[in-house]
Amino acid sequence: MIAAAPGNLRVVGREDRRFRFMPRFRGRELGLLGVVAVTLYVGAVSLGATERFRESLADGEGGPVDLSTPADPGLLLTYIAALFVVHLAFVLSGRRTDQLLLPAVGLLGGIGLLLMIRLPQNLAGSLGGLAQTQLVWLLIGLGIIAVLAIAVRNDVWLRRYKYTWAAVGVALLLLVFLFGNETNGARLSLTLGPISGQPSELLKVILVVFLAGYLSENRPLLVEESTRIGPIKLPPLPYLAPMVAMWAIALGIVIVQRDLGAALLFFAVFLLLLYVSTARVSFVVLGLGAFVVGAAALYFLFGHVRTRIDVWLDPFADPSGAGYQIVQALHAFARGGLIGTGLGGGLPTIAGRPPIPALHTDFPFAALGEELGLVGILAILGLYLVLVQRGLRIASAAQDEFRAILAAGLSLVIGVQAFIIAGGNLKLIPLTGITLPFVSYGGSSLLANAVIVGLLIALSERTRDPLPPPRRPGRLRRLFDRGAA
Amino acid sequence: MDAALLAIWVLRLIFLAMLYAFLFFVVRALVRDLRAAAREPTMELGRLVVVASPSGEPPSGSTFALDAVTSLGRDVNNSIVIEDEFVSSAHAALTYRGRAWYVEDLGSTNGTFVNGGQVDGLSPLAFGDEVQLGQVRLRLERARP
Amino acid sequence: MALDGRRSASHARPVTGSPPSWAGRRIGIGAALGRVSLALAVAFGGLAVGAGYWQVIESSNLSSSGDDAAVIAAARNVKRGEIFDRDGERIAWNKRDANGEPYRVYASTSLSHVLGYSSRQYGTAGLERAWNAQLSGVVSADPLRELTRKFQANPSDPQSLTTTVSLQLQEAALEALGTKRGAVVLIDPRTGEVLALVSNPTYNASGIADPATATRIFDRLTSDERQPLLPRATQGLYVPGSVFKIVTAVAALGSSAVGPNTTYDDQPSSERRGWLIDGFRVRDGHHEVTGDKPLDFAEAVEASCNIWFAETGVRTGGDVLAEWASRLGFGSPLKFDLPTATSQVTNGEGDGPGGFGDRVELANAAYGQGQTLVTPLQMALVASTIANDGVLMRPHLVREATGRSGTTTIGPEVASRVLLPGVAAEIGSAMRLAVNGEIGRIFTAGAALRSMTVAGKSGTAELDPGTRPHSWFIGFAPYEDPQVAIAVLVENSGGGSVKASPIAGDVLRAWRAWARP
Repeated sequence: MIAAAPGNLRVVGREDRRFRFMPRFRGRELGLLGVVAVTLYVGAVSLGATERFRESLADGEGGPVDLSTPADPGLLLTYIAALFVVHLAFVLSGRRTDQLLLPAVGLLGGIGLLLMIRLPQNLAGSLGGLAQTQLVWLLIGLGIIAVLAIAVRNDVWLRRYKYTWAAVGVALLLLVFLFGNETNGARLSLTLGPISGQPSELLKVILVVFLAGYLSENRPLLVEESTRIGPIKLPPLPYLAPMVAMWAIALGIVIVQRDLGAALLFFAVFLLLLYVSTARVSFVVLGLGAFVVGAAALYFLFGHVRTRIDVWLDPFADPSGAGYQIVQALHAFARGGLIGTGLGGGLPTIAGRPPIPALHTDFPFAALGEELGLVGILAILGLYLVLVQRGLRIASAAQDEFRAILAAGLSLVIGVQAFIIAGGNLKLIPLTGITLPFVSYGGSSLLANAVIVGLLIALSERTRDPLPPPRRPGRLRRLFDRGAA
Repeated sequence: MDAALLAIWVLRLIFLAMLYAFLFFVVRALVRDLRAAAREPTMELGRLVVVASPSGEPPSGSTFALDAVTSLGRDVNNSIVIEDEFVSSAHAALTYRGRAWYVEDLGSTNGTFVNGGQVDGLSPLAFGDEVQLGQVRLRLERARP
Repeated sequence: MALDGRRSASHARPVTGSPPSWAGRRIGIGAALGRVSLALAVAFGGLAVGAGYWQVIESSNLSSSGDDAAVIAAARNVKRGEIFDRDGERIAWNKRDANGEPYRVYASTSLSHVLGYSSRQYGTAGLERAWNAQLSGVVSADPLRELTRKFQANPSDPQSLTTTVSLQLQEAALEALGTKRGAVVLIDPRTGEVLALVSNPTYNASGIADPATATRIFDRLTSDERQPLLPRATQGLYVPGSVFKIVTAVAALGSSAVGPNTTYDDQPSSERRGWLIDGFRVRDGHHEVTGDKPLDFAEAVEASCNIWFAETGVRTGGDVLAEWASRLGFGSPLKFDLPTATSQVTNGEGDGPGGFGDRVELANAAYGQGQTLVTPLQMALVASTIANDGVLMRPHLVREATGRSGTTTIGPEVASRVLLPGVAAEIGSAMRLAVNGEIGRIFTAGAALRSMTVAGKSGTAELDPGTRPHSWFIGFAPYEDPQVAIAVLVENSGGGSVKASPIAGDVLRAWRAWARP
């Protein structure tokens, strides 16, 4: 009998790849970052001019208005500089990684920063106002992207410890269940000592890592048909367990945490990944069925779910109560019209505050819809679509299933999350309190999405190129080997 | 005052136009990459023919297209899964480096053999060479044009 | 030999029998990724359609609605136009609070029932409500500019208003009412311009407009049993009593049902025990001074003879009375800057002509009792019609709205030609007697002035037993060249007409001083 050797595939040739300083020019990324910088600068100039123009109108003077100075140039230029620093780090690292993700994410983050500069600074933020706090988080996020994209060359730590990651995720969930702080009836944030954040943001990354590990390992078995319920062919029952567990966790999040957005995101990404790894439509149908059943049960059993759905169906029934936020959001879209009011031109304040209290976290899409108009938000939707397509492209070019499912999951998280919140803002689906990736204000969201982008860039390294030939062992080594033999 | 208003209008439109310019460049790059991938010759660098496989998995006579890194073993995560009781879960890897193929034993219990000789570490592999893992024998062949 | 790839445990697809392809190497993943990416693109297409729906199709509906934050914010942030009285005195302007948002300040509490208030918490009332669009600048004075509004950075064009009221007269009228509940209306009969419109008790509109004090003051006002928020002059409905005899006179003389010399033979004899109609006795209280002489129209007005008017009403007929009253504005809300209650001759529920229940109701209505209910403004219009040779001018409170884009002027407008000038002169002459005649003076003591001739009619509105009657005076001056019509109401003032008449005298004296600088 031969015992199976323990462990997984060792990354071949690791010992041959000693660090060599070999910068690699990234022309495409540089060019796109140039466009990003110019775009953001124009946006800031437009914002500054509009704000000064409005002030001069409010004062009733109408004297000459300074039209050339951007709004809050320090913050924006710092951000643009940071983008180029990350680019430089990529160049110096010499990895052949994706060149579109950083500019696309950089533009979204920059638009978010412009929005934060434009909103009343006292909305949130402890570091001298909304925009400054957001900039700090953006810079940390860019740092995370750089570190992950350059340093992650090995996925064993993700792949091998998938159950550890799952445990960490469940532990995080339990922590939130037990100690979460409630905001607006939803238990979303967790405060541990000086650190507070929204664990569901981190949880989505952990979930994808776990699913990638689990699905890539059990893919052949999941595809096997050994259980049949009528016309539905199912995988062997034990392999259904994670599906059921996932469904239960999503329900649990809704019931205990009242976080509909996270539950929807997790379940949607789970189903999509299940489909990606098995190509079985029946799973998706089954999952959707379970979703409908669960949703219906929740609707009848839990008041907060019912309220949410009823408000979604007819927010105008109670425009100043339960439907207030969504009605205000729809009004914001309507005010924007085709080309918007221009940055700084919309978003009326009442008593110094925007009518939607959570504008900076839950409704930046509506805010952008007002100030950039339909034309502007179509471009922003396009940016998210580009991000996702790029991520899926990285997935389809990945070396193995784990990496493919991981890359697909990471990019789908961004796409689905953007869809859920944008759809919620637009009353296409019930409104949930999740963030618009890279644009919304908030550290947890920015950091988690930075982790995603960093991993995606790292996964995008083009390994299909021939590996470098093995270097001949040094003479000393050969002597040593011979001696040992 | 009206000149200022006009200037602000122009700035707004330039900003929107810049967003679309960026989108245009990104989409162009995306499309170019996709086209390039489609144009690229098949990435097949070689193929592996199953000469003998007593267990039937992989079935003898079947052929596998090879990637730059191909892992062999009993574990389902391997590129080529070999159901043989003398094969370790992560048994061996075939790698294409520079312009040549190499085989590497990944610390298997029963070792990997090339043309009958046991492989120690990374060892070059020529087309036509036969690799044996447990009872399974595979032959490296040139990719078909 | 050819194998089903899906059943093979190997991820590397056996290529035998099928074309080698890199993309197809991993069954499912490539194709599935393609489908997922397509699905997501479709979902995003859905977002685009949704955005298009709200931003293009529903755009103008939502963004122009009153619930829109921009409309609300505009109302809050735009400095509303200032309001001036007819003498150029500023009577409403703005201050800024800690957030830099403006709030309203008003010159005098005597104006509260005219101007109303504009409050963040409690919305708008009065002229602030009626002219909200112009004051907040949502509507422009220039229609062409209205079209191009969307393309302007600051589309609002707040307009300032010039009202027809005089702050000086408002304060004089309020002072004349003193602590009594009631209303005073002064109208220029030639133009319909309302010179004063006072309701008492009044309230502190500035306090409601100031966000710091609004809640406290508003709560106190709504719980005040004296109802200071009720605009009595325009929305208070009162039994008119004898002042309604002028309306009956308009109908009777206007329709020629009776003439100025009509007398009723049974009138003097009925004075002691009351005039019997269908079992109801119409009573009177002037027999001591008029004796057994049958009264003609002018004498009946002077003595305020209920029996003469009851008989006239019955002779005129309910339908004619209701018809002529409607020419004076009864029966529907007045076309006015402020909302008005509908004055009625009868509640209209009866089967008789004009909606009267029976002849008793008609007879009672003819001298201002019955189901008749009127607003002080309506009674001022009656006096104004008589003063203006029988022509009723449309009452209005605003003369001009001036914005950046121009000025809108509201000029005099004939509402209705009610009477021939000769008939109006007959009634006016009778009203002069009612104030200045030997007998009339007793009823209207205090209304007659030394400086000019006042014509008018007083009234005492009998209410339910145990409730003190309302006191009325309507009239105009100077008799020779009428320039002002007046209506005064004092609620539950007690017996006699003595309460309203002296107040009217005071107000007309103040008008005289104001008109002759």
